[in-house]
Amino acid sequence: MKILSPLDSVDEVEKLARAGADEFYCGVLEQQWYERYPVISINRRPAGKGHFKDFESLKQAVTAAHALGKPVYLTINEHYYIPAQYSLITQYLDQAGEAGIDACIVSDVGLMAYIRQQGYPMQVHVSTGGTVFNWRAAAFYQELGAVNITLPRHLTIEEIEDIIAALPTLETTVFIMNSRCINVDGFCTFQHGLARKEILPMFRNACMLPFDIQVHDASHAVHHPADEARIIERQRVWEKVHVDDYPCGACALYEFEQIGVGSVKIVGRGNPLERKLCDVGFLSGLMTSLREQNLSRQEFRHMVRQTYATTYQRPCRLTMCYYPSVMLEEHADS
Amino acid sequence: MEQALFISKLSNAKYLIHDVTRLYFGQEFCERLLPDQHQLAEALRFAHERCLEFTLVTPYVTNQGLARVEQLLAVLSQERPDAELVVNDWGVLHLARAAYPHLRLVLGRLLNKVKRGPRIMNIFEKLPETAKDYFRGSNLAVPAYTDLIRKYNIYRVEYDNVLQGLSLDGTDPEIKKSLYLPFAFVSTTRFCLSANCDNPAYADRIGIFPCGRECQRYTFHLFNPVMTVPLIRKGNTIFFLNEHIPDVVSQQKIDRIVIEPEIPL
Repeated sequence: MKILSPLDSVDEVEKLARAGADEFYCGVLEQQWYERYPVISINRRPAGKGHFKDFESLKQAVTAAHALGKPVYLTINEHYYIPAQYSLITQYLDQAGEAGIDACIVSDVGLMAYIRQQGYPMQVHVSTGGTVFNWRAAAFYQELGAVNITLPRHLTIEEIEDIIAALPTLETTVFIMNSRCINVDGFCTFQHGLARKEILPMFRNACMLPFDIQVHDASHAVHHPADEARIIERQRVWEKVHVDDYPCGACALYEFEQIGVGSVKIVGRGNPLERKLCDVGFLSGLMTSLREQNLSRQEFRHMVRQTYATTYQRPCRLTMCYYPSVMLEEHADS
Repeated sequence: MEQALFISKLSNAKYLIHDVTRLYFGQEFCERLLPDQHQLAEALRFAHERCLEFTLVTPYVTNQGLARVEQLLAVLSQERPDAELVVNDWGVLHLARAAYPHLRLVLGRLLNKVKRGPRIMNIFEKLPETAKDYFRGSNLAVPAYTDLIRKYNIYRVEYDNVLQGLSLDGTDPEIKKSLYLPFAFVSTTRFCLSANCDNPAYADRIGIFPCGRECQRYTFHLFNPVMTVPLIRKGNTIFFLNEHIPDVVSQQKIDRIVIEPEIPL
C-alpha cells in the first residue's frame, strides 16, 4: 500500500519522498487557461497556491521524482469540459507527455474517451469525481482503459472491500487525510471554492457557508422549540466544524492493508510543505509499524489514536473521522 | 412536446394531469428509497391502465444497491420491455448494457455534468464569454463523448433547468433531450443530514448510518445572501426551484418536459 502525496513544486519532491511519499499528484494552471476560464480551474483547485505555474517546472519535478523511483500523476479532473476548451486541453496533454508524467487523473468521461481516441501514451487514473460506488462502475472505467480508481469518500470500509474483491486487477486509491467533504465530489455542482474562513462567502466552499434555516415537517407535528432548534442545528454541522480540521482515516490502514487497497491519498495541494511533511510522516510511521510489528487491530488503532493526538494536538472526533464505523465500534466495545 | 410526470412514490400519482403521456417512477439520489419489486409492479400497472409510457429512474448505488436495481430491471424487462431506464450511475449503465440491452437507456441528470451552483449568478454577466459558454454548456458536444455514450445505447439525456441558461449548441441532434421542472439538483451526499436529524444521539455523527427515513418528513430551506435563490435540502440532496421556462424549450431543442410536482425524493 502506497502513500499518495500532493506536490506543488520541485523543491518538495526529495523532502516528501524522504518522509515516506511513494507517489505524487499535482496540477498545472497556466495563465492562458485562467484568463479564459476564471473560476473554472482545469483541475478543481482555484487559482493561487496548489499549482505548478507551467510545464517546465512540472518537468523538473517529474525528473526529480523519477530519479527517486516515484511516479507523478497530473490532475485534469474538472467534472466536464466543453469543446472550446479542447484546444488548451490538447496542449496540456501534449506538454504533460513531454514532461514525462506517469498518468492523468481524470473525472470527465468525455476527456477519457478523447485521451483513448487520440492515443495518448500516459495512463488514466479515475478521479474521485468519477463516482465509483460499485464494482460495475469500476468495470465501466476499466473498459475505458483506466488502471486506477480513486474511490469516493462516501463508502464504508466494507463497501470498499466489496469493490476491490470484485475487480482485483484494478488498482484503487482511497482517501486517508484532510478535506472530508460532505458532498459527493462527482455529484457536487456547486462552484468549487476554498475552505478557509477568511475567504469571501462568494468563493468559500458552499457546504460550509452559514445559512438561515427553516424546517418544514410534513407530519405537521407540533415541536417543542428546543427540539426544532436541535433538528436545525444538526443541519449546521459544517458551519461548526471545518472540513480541513485534520480529518483522518488512519485507523482503517489496518483493514486497507488486508483488503488490498493500492494507495492512500492525502488531500492537500496548496498546503504548506510543513503540513504535507507532517501528514506523510504520520502515515509513513504508522504503516511501518503495521508492517514490522505484529499488531492486533486493537493495538494498531490504539497506536494510531495516540500518534494522531501527539502529532496534531487534538483528539480523534467523529466528525473528522473518515471511517467513523471504527470509532463507533470502539465506543460499543468499551 | 412530450410531458412526463416524475414521482418517487405512487401516492403522488394524484398529480397526474391530462397532458401527461409518460410516467417517471423511481429514485435518483438514495438507494434506500428505491421502490421494491412490488411497488414497481404497481407503478407499471398504474401506467398501463392509463396508457402511459414508462420510465424507471435509478440512483447511484453501492454493490448492495446494484443488486436491488438488478431485481427491478428483471421486473421491468419482463413487464415493459419497451420501457426507458434512467441511469445515474455508470455501473447501472454497465449492467443494463450487459443484461438488458433492449431497454431504452437515458443518461440521468447526475451524469449530465452541468454546474448548478446559484452563486455564479452574482458574477455571471461579468465573466468573459468563454466562461459563460462553459457554464451554459456541457461535455455532450464533445464528439468523442457522444460516440461513447451512443456506443452504450444512450438515446436521451436529462437536463436540469439551471439559472445561467442552457446551450445545447453542438450536441448530437440524434440524442433526445429532456428538461426537469421546476426543481434542479445542486449536490448530494451519502452523509445525509436529514437522517436521524431528530435523534440527539446522532448530533455529532457524520457518515453513513442507518436512518428512519426522516427525509420523508422534514424539508429544510437554506438561506444565505450569496445564494441568489433559496436552497432546499430534502433528504441527502440540495435543490433549488426554477420555474422560468428557458429558451431551449421555445427553440424546440428539448422534446420532453419532466414535471416534478414535488421534489422526487
